[in-house]
Amino acid sequence: MTILRHASAIAIKDLRSEFRTKEALNGALSFSIVILLMIAFAFDTGAELVSDYGGGILWLAFTFASALIVNRSFARELPNDCIDVLVSSPASGAALFLGKSIASFLLLVVIESICLPVFGVFFNVTWWRNPSQLALVVLLGSWAMACMGTVFSALTINLRLREVMLPMLMYPMLIPAVLSAMTLTNYLMQPGPLPPDYAQWMRMLVGFDIIFTTLALALVETILVR
Amino acid sequence: MRSKLVMLLGLIGGPLLLRNLYVILFQLPDEMEQGPVYRIFYYHLPAFLTAAACYLSAMICSILYLKSKDAKYDAIALACTETGLAFAAVNLVTGMFWGRISWGIWWAWDPRLTWALICWLVYFGYLMLRKAIDDPTERAKNASALSIFAFVSVAITWKAIEWWRTQHPGPVLSIRTGEQRMDPFMEQMIYMNTVALSLLAAIFILVRLRQEETQREIDALRRYAHAL
Amino acid sequence: MFYGLTVAWALLAIYAVFLGLRDKDLKKQLETLKRMVEEKK
Repeated sequence: MTILRHASAIAIKDLRSEFRTKEALNGALSFSIVILLMIAFAFDTGAELVSDYGGGILWLAFTFASALIVNRSFARELPNDCIDVLVSSPASGAALFLGKSIASFLLLVVIESICLPVFGVFFNVTWWRNPSQLALVVLLGSWAMACMGTVFSALTINLRLREVMLPMLMYPMLIPAVLSAMTLTNYLMQPGPLPPDYAQWMRMLVGFDIIFTTLALALVETILVR
Repeated sequence: MRSKLVMLLGLIGGPLLLRNLYVILFQLPDEMEQGPVYRIFYYHLPAFLTAAACYLSAMICSILYLKSKDAKYDAIALACTETGLAFAAVNLVTGMFWGRISWGIWWAWDPRLTWALICWLVYFGYLMLRKAIDDPTERAKNASALSIFAFVSVAITWKAIEWWRTQHPGPVLSIRTGEQRMDPFMEQMIYMNTVALSLLAAIFILVRLRQEETQREIDALRRYAHAL
Repeated sequence: MFYGLTVAWALLAIYAVFLGLRDKDLKKQLETLKRMVEEKK
């Protein structure tokens, strides 16, 4: 399908350009590790605390990293009017959105896979109790952040205070997804069987992903065309 | 014509609001379990219904704007969103007072309250976005897209009291639950107050719309003055 | 309870006042601009 072909071309372009400089990757990775460090100092990281809040701490760091990654997503296209070229190319808005979301998603997953062991070391958490479920939660949560982030990156592309407006607009809308991811991660890091409302939270996360991906695919063309 | 409409709405809405206040304070009996504090509910729920109606209108106008590119829809969307924010603030704050008296805490991270707050923040973000974009067409287009996204959070807030059974009381209106969970006289009062607050909201929206048109006139005149 | 009702009315009154103030400000801006345009002509 042409949409997937265009989307993959855009995703590969973004990833190639990112891995050439590694600006956003290094920046976001350092920032999230610093956040984990600051939280480790802010609270007494005894075992009880982390079993209740571990998921929250982890996803807080991931959310801050995602803001940096998705901000670069469309900001990268501003010099030399690359955004106009992309919008006027045969690639549809949906393909452009999909390509950029996939690129942001993959970068986020890279950062998260480095942050998880660091988190495990700083807070003495066994995070590998349920690896397949944890991977699913991380992937779904990261997709939510990448998808919403790309939409808001497109919305705020021309704003003066882009770096401030993007998180300000994005975070409230992301709350259901991030809340689900935090709760699910918490459940997965605790010993014993999974609680009964695990399925409900998973449903919320999946529902959020589906609803907002669909809405984004429908609306992104309108946002980008000037 | 519009100012006559505003005056007419004011003439109907004003006395209705005052009459409702009188009935709420003096004629309605105390509730069985909660005592007099439940009277806050007569503003709490109608304010939410009014705000939701405003947000729905804003979303519809945003969709109409994106289809027709007619700037008047964008102006109506802005007016509806701002008014909706005011009424949603009333909903949140009256809820906080009720919670303080009934549960002893100002706030709880209960799904319904959390969603109501998220709703408010998202629409506040809509206003922030509008302020940050200078070009009117760009502003209208981006704000309309955001309004459509934001409405999803409103829809979830509305549904939240059905999906989650927690601290916040469940649905009580008979039109929603299909049964009579509330005294009919009290329920009728809720609807009366919703009508009164909606009339007030309509007045706010019309006034804000006129202000938005004046703003556009000012912008056009400013461009003309600079061109001279 | 009275505080709750007072706050509800107060918030709506504050918004109404805010609208009124903005109205005055807009009228002033419009007058200034109209005068400026007349002078320039």
